[in-house]
Amino acid sequence: MSNRVSKSTITRRTALKTLAGSTGAGLLLPGLAGGAFAQESGPIKLGFQVHRTGIGSAYGRWYERVATAAIARINDMGGINGRQVEMIAEDDGTDPRRGAEVVERFANLHNVDAVFGPLFSHVVIGAAPRAGELKMPYFVVSEGHHVASGALNRYTLQPGITDVKSQVISMAPYVAENVGKKVTMIFPDFAFGHDHRDFFTDAIAAQGGEVIQQIAVPPTETTFTRYFPSIPRETEVVYHVMVGPGVLTFVREMGEFFGGQGPALFGFIDSLEAVDIASPGLEFLEDSYFWEGMPRYAQPDQTPHEAAYRAAVGVDENGASIDDPRDVSTYAHMFGVWETLAVMKAGMEAAGYQGPDDRQSLIEAVEAMSDMPLSDDHPQGDKVFNGRTHQVFGKQSISRVQDGKLVRVHQTSIEDTLYEDEVDYTAQSF
Amino acid sequence: MLQLPPTWAILAAAPLLPMILALPAAAHVSEQSFVLLLPTGHYITSGVIAVLASILLISATPARVVEALFRPLPLGLPTLPDWVRTAISTISAIGLLMLLYIGWSGPRDPLVNLLPLVIWVGFWIGLFSLIGLVGNLWAYLNPWIGPYALLRGRLGQPPALPESLGTWPALAVFVLFFGFYMADPAPSDPDRLAVVVATYAGLTLCGVLIFGPTWLQRCEAFTVLFDLIARTSPFGATRADHLGFPGWALFKDAPVRLSTAIFAVFVLAAGSFDGLKETFWWFARLGINPLEHPGRTALVGSTLIGLSVSFLALLLALAVVLWAGRAIACMGEAQPKPALRRLFCWFAPTLLPIALGYHISHFLVTFMIDGQYLLAAIGDPFARGDNFLNLADIRVTTGFLTSMGSVRVIWLTQAGVVVVSHILAVLVSHRIALHVFETPRRAALSQIPLGAFMILYTLFGLWLLASPRA
Repeated sequence: MSNRVSKSTITRRTALKTLAGSTGAGLLLPGLAGGAFAQESGPIKLGFQVHRTGIGSAYGRWYERVATAAIARINDMGGINGRQVEMIAEDDGTDPRRGAEVVERFANLHNVDAVFGPLFSHVVIGAAPRAGELKMPYFVVSEGHHVASGALNRYTLQPGITDVKSQVISMAPYVAENVGKKVTMIFPDFAFGHDHRDFFTDAIAAQGGEVIQQIAVPPTETTFTRYFPSIPRETEVVYHVMVGPGVLTFVREMGEFFGGQGPALFGFIDSLEAVDIASPGLEFLEDSYFWEGMPRYAQPDQTPHEAAYRAAVGVDENGASIDDPRDVSTYAHMFGVWETLAVMKAGMEAAGYQGPDDRQSLIEAVEAMSDMPLSDDHPQGDKVFNGRTHQVFGKQSISRVQDGKLVRVHQTSIEDTLYEDEVDYTAQSF
Repeated sequence: MLQLPPTWAILAAAPLLPMILALPAAAHVSEQSFVLLLPTGHYITSGVIAVLASILLISATPARVVEALFRPLPLGLPTLPDWVRTAISTISAIGLLMLLYIGWSGPRDPLVNLLPLVIWVGFWIGLFSLIGLVGNLWAYLNPWIGPYALLRGRLGQPPALPESLGTWPALAVFVLFFGFYMADPAPSDPDRLAVVVATYAGLTLCGVLIFGPTWLQRCEAFTVLFDLIARTSPFGATRADHLGFPGWALFKDAPVRLSTAIFAVFVLAAGSFDGLKETFWWFARLGINPLEHPGRTALVGSTLIGLSVSFLALLLALAVVLWAGRAIACMGEAQPKPALRRLFCWFAPTLLPIALGYHISHFLVTFMIDGQYLLAAIGDPFARGDNFLNLADIRVTTGFLTSMGSVRVIWLTQAGVVVVSHILAVLVSHRIALHVFETPRRAALSQIPLGAFMILYTLFGLWLLASPRA
């Protein structure tokens, strides 16, 4: 096993070196480099709120890797408005209260221009109000519905990743048409599972299908055989979104229960993000369907933009680290960091951003965005940003497990993912 | 005066350090998913049977064999001259100052800043384990004894600390340390940690300069801790020019002071609760969904309460077990029974092999991941883009946690360490019983309750490893 990095990919160190060389800043000491004197002549400073420790750390590690690569790319292209970009990472411990403290540090100690990065919904919900109070542009990469639902504020945006509501509802047309109309849902009995239950139940009904049974499993459950007999006989599709340490046991027990004769399986890759599909025990997943935000395995029609992104973040055609083929990335989600940074750059350029006094202009510039075509900035695909709801919309993928790999069998349209606006943040004052 | 390990023990340990640090890297959901697929029930049964067998075997072993087993061999090697220790400790002090500077002024990311990585990965996980395996390196590496030796000529005769102080201050400091490590919302935050470390190192230096090295033995938590943990090593802690069966010094250096005995109990209780507090079982007690972990700030109170309860429960359990053992051993005999307090001071240190085993087992995976971050940070200590020894180019991987084969190897290693540590505790305890209870029959009888306790604790330790965790 090699820990060494190939010459073509970016590490934190090489990114730092590039930045130091180009700004002449030399040693970057975030704790000391704060203060107004650095503004407008020094680098643009972006605060990266990262789940370095706590339950989000597996995601945090990949989010950090993508953020480092994305910022190195931006700096290679000349930075933002002619200034290099410096990333200051703060660990929030995947802890809502610490998330709020981190936002305060970014505002008061580091005096950053904007903050990006948090993923876990409860952390975003805990920290976003503070960002609003401090008038700090807060770019979340969370896929939660909390931004578009209107629960947050004018300073919080989600322009780099689609939300769970649009993901779930866009699955319904394909499932009803190609997989089955009678659906049994098995989901963990807390907010994450309830979102899936509520969004999908309505969406499949709109397609002429029906959720005939909802099976809520207590989140701490580690054996599942007693739930399977509750699946009605006439079920055509089992929709499952289990997460947590029991997930492999769930898949195995479900496979053993049906013995290859049961209904079709449809799941969200969140269950198996960063887990090798070819792992022992997962052979029962052969032929089953998964939502993917971005296909983990390089597809035959992979765009040059995605290929460039894979290379930049150091991920191979199986979605694993080029340094260790067992180290599977959080590929379905982490592109959101890359695209968020691209949007932040575009927003700052559109706003003619100079310093913290222009934070409001930055928000307005992003709100004014709409079409974001497939490009090196948006390797996951075309997007449409809704400035009123602060939420981006994009195509979703449905993949099928074939020979232990995920093969895309369908890509939704952006229209499939849209729903009525639930808020107009632009009507809120700054 | 601190007793030191011999030169060769230090030299033998030195190459181990990079080897251990170079092992591949974080306890995530995916690893636990694979563990839940392992036949851990069979493994746990095997482990418990192994401990039970060791109890029966040692009980049937002739006393002279047991006594010979725990008799160390003198090595006749010269101890290191004092200046070596002064030099190493002084270098350590300078290194600590540099770390504190990095903590305050370096990157804010706790997995990039060298201070939290050295303190938590290098010192707490690595050095603790290493000392348990090879002997008391802390006697050299502590950052106070060197500066003290250099300044000694200018200091007057130190006042003596009262004997009644025992090691109670060190125990109090260690409890505070564990509270910080376990319950503080952000113990890895670089500048927060820098303040804590600087405060402790500064106060300790003041204590040493005023009261001399005795301060370390009474009030410095890690001197007391590592002195205890080193007794499980083949070199012991205070007679380190001897080599013997691991744990021989737990007998030779016993009985310990009451405060030190309680210290030993706390080490195991805290280490055990550290594992317990991550289990779904514990979250169920708190009524918290571990898949929506609220973060450490929400758990400060419950963690401190859990730590306290674990400590008191283990103290009580050990006292009851020793009381029952004494009652069985001395049943129907007219001669006076050994005092319970005396038994406690003899037997409490026999928990230390288990504490060491838990420590190694509990932190193995963290060490494999965060050790990679530590190496990368050593490659670029000031976060300037340096790349010493090409270390900074390390890209951290956790791939070994997402393959069944490597997860099985890791789990069995952890379980093996737990089982072996209990067996060691059983053997040492029996050796002490032979001394305290004088006859082999009484010794064996006295160990029945403790043996049952060891079996249950093995079960608990292996259950911890196999349980779903957040």
